[in-house]
Amino acid sequence: MHTYVFLSGILIMTYFMVIAKRLPPLISSFRLQSLFLFLFTVSLAISGGEPSLYVVAGLILILKVILIPTLLLRIIKKIKVNENLGFFMNPQLSLFTALLLTYLSYLFTFRVMNLIDRMQAASFALALCVTLLGLFIMVFRIKALSQIVGLLVMENGLFLTAVTMCRGLPFIVEFSTFLDIFISVIILGVFVYRINTLFTHIDVNKLDNLKG
Amino acid sequence: MLNLFNTSIAFLLDPLSFFFVFTILLISLASAIYSVGYLQGEYSLRKRLYGWVLFAAFIVSMLFVVTVNNALIFLISWEAMSLLSYFLVIFDQKNEKSISAGIIYLVMTHIGTAFIIASFLIMYKYSGSFDFAAIKAACQNIPVFTKNLVFIFLLIGFGTKAGIVPLHIWLPYAHPQAPSHISSLMSGVMIKTAIYGIIRFIIFILGIESLWWGNLILIIAIISCLVGVIYALMEHDLKKLLAYHSVENIGIILLGIGASMVFIKLKLTVLAVLALSVGLYHLINHAIFKGLLFLCAGSVYKATGTGDMEKFGGLIKKMPQTALAFLFGAMAISALPPLNGFVSEWLTLQVFFIGAFSVSSGLKIFFAICASLLALTGGLAASCFVKAFGITFLAMPRSAKAKEAVEAGLSMKIGMFFLAFFTVVFGLGAAVVFKILAKVSQSVLAGELAPINFSLNNFTINIQEGNFVYLSVPQIALILAIILLITATLIYLFTGKVKKYGTWNCGYYKLTPRNEYTATAFSKPFRIAFGFFLKPYRKTEKLRESFYHVKTFKYETHTTSIFQEYIYKPILAFTFGSARFIRKIQPGSIHLYIAYIFATIVALIVLIKIF
Repeated sequence: MHTYVFLSGILIMTYFMVIAKRLPPLISSFRLQSLFLFLFTVSLAISGGEPSLYVVAGLILILKVILIPTLLLRIIKKIKVNENLGFFMNPQLSLFTALLLTYLSYLFTFRVMNLIDRMQAASFALALCVTLLGLFIMVFRIKALSQIVGLLVMENGLFLTAVTMCRGLPFIVEFSTFLDIFISVIILGVFVYRINTLFTHIDVNKLDNLKG
Repeated sequence: MLNLFNTSIAFLLDPLSFFFVFTILLISLASAIYSVGYLQGEYSLRKRLYGWVLFAAFIVSMLFVVTVNNALIFLISWEAMSLLSYFLVIFDQKNEKSISAGIIYLVMTHIGTAFIIASFLIMYKYSGSFDFAAIKAACQNIPVFTKNLVFIFLLIGFGTKAGIVPLHIWLPYAHPQAPSHISSLMSGVMIKTAIYGIIRFIIFILGIESLWWGNLILIIAIISCLVGVIYALMEHDLKKLLAYHSVENIGIILLGIGASMVFIKLKLTVLAVLALSVGLYHLINHAIFKGLLFLCAGSVYKATGTGDMEKFGGLIKKMPQTALAFLFGAMAISALPPLNGFVSEWLTLQVFFIGAFSVSSGLKIFFAICASLLALTGGLAASCFVKAFGITFLAMPRSAKAKEAVEAGLSMKIGMFFLAFFTVVFGLGAAVVFKILAKVSQSVLAGELAPINFSLNNFTINIQEGNFVYLSVPQIALILAIILLITATLIYLFTGKVKKYGTWNCGYYKLTPRNEYTATAFSKPFRIAFGFFLKPYRKTEKLRESFYHVKTFKYETHTTSIFQEYIYKPILAFTFGSARFIRKIQPGSIHLYIAYIFATIVALIVLIKIF
């Protein structure tokens, strides 16, 4: 039963991120989402008894719950920009769209995938929904940091897919993915910092001068 | 597609391949000797070494093209040949024209290669192997429609490389820009590998399916002949002029091959072999004299620093040996006896005469028209080389550079006279050469035909028994020599003392180069006669002091290149137009790009039910 609680936690945190108006709440919601993901993975590891999943869960805890959000929050403090996210679509309409996307992934899971195991079906629908919403955040939020968070949310969704469909990827793949994520966050953080010093803003929609 | 790379290189050494290997090596040898002197002083040592490495690799790739036994290896060598020749075209990198010429060449040749690859893959679908023998066996099972498609693809693919009209546009750009010894290789040999491709893949492997194949090739060939020679007449850049003549001569070669395809389908075995041998004969002849002419053009270019004929003149006094070699080439390409070009063009005409008597109704007229147009082509080619030789070598120098020209170096002269020698050999030894070529064509058509024999002896080609059509070049040469001797004697005996005047001076006391006949003026009658095709326009500009006294006079004339104007320009305009239209979805907004991905994923999720 507790796995459903964790899954709902992930979903609710994703909705929080969709309606978040400022950067710090967005990042805190991401931290909480990752925490639920960590708990979910641990519960799977206990029920499945796979030792490698414990290590992966540990990595989630260290990277996605502690290190990355802290790093992002520090960047926000450092570059001193307006903390508002900047919307292409207001939070109410975003939430409505998010609900529609959730329904779409639900439909997809049950009509197309024909998953029999209810628990697996639910978590797959959820994973798909989280991936789509990560993409949604990347598209409809203006500040460059929200693109990074959107990418991280998508990664969480993909991890969830892997873990529910086939009990996680091989450990080495998982490990390298985490490393990639961490490094990409660092690089993107540096980029955001540089963009800010160069243009005095981090509004992605203003960066549209094509080169060449 | 599993065994794609599991192919070992095997060579196909049949007479056809040997014939092409011989042609390639013959021209390469002359070109290599020539290049020693030609590159000297033009480029630094490092550049020259680079040039020689490319040159050698280019020759090897051509040899591979004509000898390999596997369609995949063929494609690789073909592509290697194209790329190496591209690098040779842009060898003179300082010249901006070379770069744009190189790009035109690269684009055209890759369009051709794409068609060849497509046709090979279609054949592979039926054979399951890239081996020539396997493909040949499988071609029996290909349905007619597919076979037609493969034929069209092969024709476009190889036609692009050969330079048939309207795919010829890269030739006049690429050939003149390459260093001259490379031009002679490209024009003399490389475009012939496309003819090899047509013979090997269409006649030998695919097999002639319908009569219209041969007719189509004949039509394209005769158009290429005329278009090539008319454009050559209008051209005043010596190397470009030669490049247009390559279009013309490829047309003549294809006349032989196309006629052969018609005869194969009509089961006229003797004529099929005859026509193919004639095509091959003109092929090697063209390789020799076009190679020679490009080498001579290179000597003139090196001596004067320009290719513009209006700047030449009087070079026969400065460079007598180059002029002599050029004269050999010009006579050969104009089909004057007793040189090699005469033999093959005469034979091509005979093929059409005999063909017209052997086929029925409609084809009769078609063959007659081909023959008459070929005759017209020959006449125009001759007048074109009167222009090329006269304007370049005769009269007075038109520019300071032409006045200071010096004779080419030793190695260049060896290269030129080596080929000039062969124009004579392939003319006088026509009977022997033809006997060999008949064997080559018989081997190509062996599957189609019963073995046959030509009645040949050492001096005469008797191309059909009973009709008494025969040719003996040594006899002609002898008669010509006797006539020449008699005329000279008569002149010497009856005119007595030789008086020297300035040529065409009309009693005027002092002639300057400005009084000379120009290439533009020479070609004017043709510009008017073919006005419907060339669409010339001219601009005159007069500055008058008074009504009676014109101070300066400017005259400009251009011809419209209708293929570029009406075929390539619309295609390019369409391509750029659609690119501009599509560019609207590229605003540079990162959000929008991610939104495309997002929309695509959502659409896929929604639509997956349908699929």
